[in-house]
Amino acid sequence: MVENSKGLSDQLWRVFSSMKLGLALLGIIALVAGIGTLIPQADMNPEKAKAVGQLWQTLGFTHLYNTIWFRLLLGLLCINLIVCSIQRLRGIYHRTFKLTPPAKLVQVPHKNRLEVLGEPAPLQAALLEVLKQKGYRVTLSDLSDTWSFIAIKHRLGNWGSVITHLSFVVLVIGALLGSVLGFKGYFMENAGNTIPIQEIQLSKGTVSETFSVRINSAEDRILPDGERDNWYTDLSILENGQEVARKTLSVNHPFMYKGITFYQASYSDGARFTADMNGKKIPVVLQDQVQSYFQAPGTDLYLVTMADPNSSAQKPSVLYQVYKGNGADPIQSGKLTSGQTIDVQGSYKLTLEGLVGFTGLQVKKDPGVAVIWLGCVLLLGGLLLAFYWQPVVISGILQSENGNQGTLTLGVFSGKVTVSTHEALEHLVSSITKKLR
Amino acid sequence: MLENLETALFYILLMTCTLCMLFYWIWLGTKKELVGRLATYLTILAVLVNTAAIILRMITSGHPPLSNGYEFLLTFCLGIMAVYLFAEFRYKLRSLGAFVMPIPCLLLMFIIMSMGPEERIAQAVPPALKSQWLTFHVITAMFAYGAFAVSFGLGIMYLLKASQEDNQNKLSPQGIVARFPSLEILDELAYKVVGFAFPLLTLCIITGAIWANYAWGTYWSWDPKETWSLITWIIYAGYLHARLMYGWKGRRAAWLAVFGFAAVLFTFFGVNYFLPGLHSYA
Ligand code: HEM
Repeated sequence: MVENSKGLSDQLWRVFSSMKLGLALLGIIALVAGIGTLIPQADMNPEKAKAVGQLWQTLGFTHLYNTIWFRLLLGLLCINLIVCSIQRLRGIYHRTFKLTPPAKLVQVPHKNRLEVLGEPAPLQAALLEVLKQKGYRVTLSDLSDTWSFIAIKHRLGNWGSVITHLSFVVLVIGALLGSVLGFKGYFMENAGNTIPIQEIQLSKGTVSETFSVRINSAEDRILPDGERDNWYTDLSILENGQEVARKTLSVNHPFMYKGITFYQASYSDGARFTADMNGKKIPVVLQDQVQSYFQAPGTDLYLVTMADPNSSAQKPSVLYQVYKGNGADPIQSGKLTSGQTIDVQGSYKLTLEGLVGFTGLQVKKDPGVAVIWLGCVLLLGGLLLAFYWQPVVISGILQSENGNQGTLTLGVFSGKVTVSTHEALEHLVSSITKKLR
Repeated sequence: MLENLETALFYILLMTCTLCMLFYWIWLGTKKELVGRLATYLTILAVLVNTAAIILRMITSGHPPLSNGYEFLLTFCLGIMAVYLFAEFRYKLRSLGAFVMPIPCLLLMFIIMSMGPEERIAQAVPPALKSQWLTFHVITAMFAYGAFAVSFGLGIMYLLKASQEDNQNKLSPQGIVARFPSLEILDELAYKVVGFAFPLLTLCIITGAIWANYAWGTYWSWDPKETWSLITWIIYAGYLHARLMYGWKGRRAAWLAVFGFAAVLFTFFGVNYFLPGLHSYA
């Protein structure tokens, strides 16, 4: 039984240490991700996603990137990467820090070789000097009968691929942290309102914090040349009714409080009214959008408003429409300027108090973001090491016939790039011969 | 005034580009040194004109060239030509021009054919695009995509040469293709170019994520543009690994380089024109 399970774990290890499996997983992930761009996804295009066949919805094709099996693929890739990296650590360590000089001529790489002739002593001196000049770290042999060496430049480049691979695991951990411990929500409120953080509309996670957010002002600022400068929200954080923080945020300039970040996401104009129903005054705030309406209590009259393109700062105005029941056409419409009062179907009187901005804020808590940035740094660092800092390993052995004429055979280890490592070797040799002359 | 100059520069660029493509082709056929030199000089001129056009655009619009497809395509062309020129000088590889220069040429033609003048003018950028990270994003994209175009050209050359070596007896050894560098050199060059570009593409995706996190509060939202840049990234990661595995050098690697560039193009054109996107900036 014990032997059996050992065999199984060995087998699993072998499966997961295979680069073929890794590449297959990467290919499948790319394919699945591509399919996800062809099928409408629920969080971007909810209406179209609902129209997709039920079977596909159940299988998760309309929320592909959140499905268990997509995460499973990422998880398998992570295991694969970890196993692969562990497997290779020893080898990389030895190739970086424990290089052994060749003991025999055959151990000098033979694909890329050059020979230099000369008297042994000056030859050695010139070689060592040139190697040092060019930034190589040299290890000499401690064998008594032959003189040989191995030299390495850019040795940290060896670690590039391991760092790259593990950074991917870090990225996945960061994403996981965010989705387990974080939340994401959105609210749209007009200036002057206060909303408890617990009551915002969430699309992911749950909120454990208890403070409130007050919108002091919301503004759509236009530059003199007519271009939009930005949307600005002046916001206060209230703990038990006390203001503890205040900040003006705008698009690309978020605000963070206790690990929760507020992002300016959208903006909409709106207006404040007073509805007077037989002396009872009701404050009404409407946003310039279809979903925002006022139904006067006890009636089936619906009021909606729109921004008036001719509205001015001195005399703000809005356009309004009144619908009755399910009627498709408005039964009353017109323009209302600030301070003006109209009669709505004999049911109530409506006064425009002024315009008001609505700010749409994205609210997010994601404790994984720091881990994500760490992963990004590792990923980039690893790639720079792997591609912009490639190690060059040169080794050689000196053989002399009678003590005053020797042959130095140099070889360069060429992994993936034969031509340029050969160039490095040629440069080395030409420098040595220059020194000897 | 400056706008008119910019429009003029665009047409000069188009002409220069077309001319140097033709000169590279003629040079490939005739091997006349003068023609080859002219082709190289014209490419340098094209790079200068292209740079000038982009700088003028940035002066008149006051933001990095990313507010519409026209600006992005201009940057893309500059990236391709700049990386190509570097490769030509560094590796003395003029025949590559015949395979790379048609790409900026086609891109510029595409602008003429599919974008009306009103689509080309500088547009106001929405607040979300006002971020320093986007400047890095564009610069890295420019060089990464430019380099991928060059590796595409190398891949095509490899495939042509490899297929000719297969039917050696049918074609004359003096053929155009016979003058290409050896298969090994082509293969290794393509690998180096992809190795140069891959970290840049990674940086491009990362700066995009940083910006998105500032602007929308999500570093990754799986919108089609992001997803396709990830797919491109995976294809090139596949390319880099495939070479490490036995038997995946050469022809198969060359095909991957070609596919990778197809994914690059799809990330730009396909996503904008065929797929419904969240943000359809360049
Ligand atoms: C997540 C995506 C991955 C990325 C970005 C990545 C990146 C890299 C890079 C940049 C290198 C160095 C390549 C070179 O110097 O030419 C490399 C090498 C390597 N990768 Fe990956 N890799 C990924 C996934 C994987 C997977 C899934 C496996 C398989 C388990 C794997 C196994 C290897 C191996 C064995 C090497 C050999 C390194 C060498 O011999 O120098 N990689 N990888």
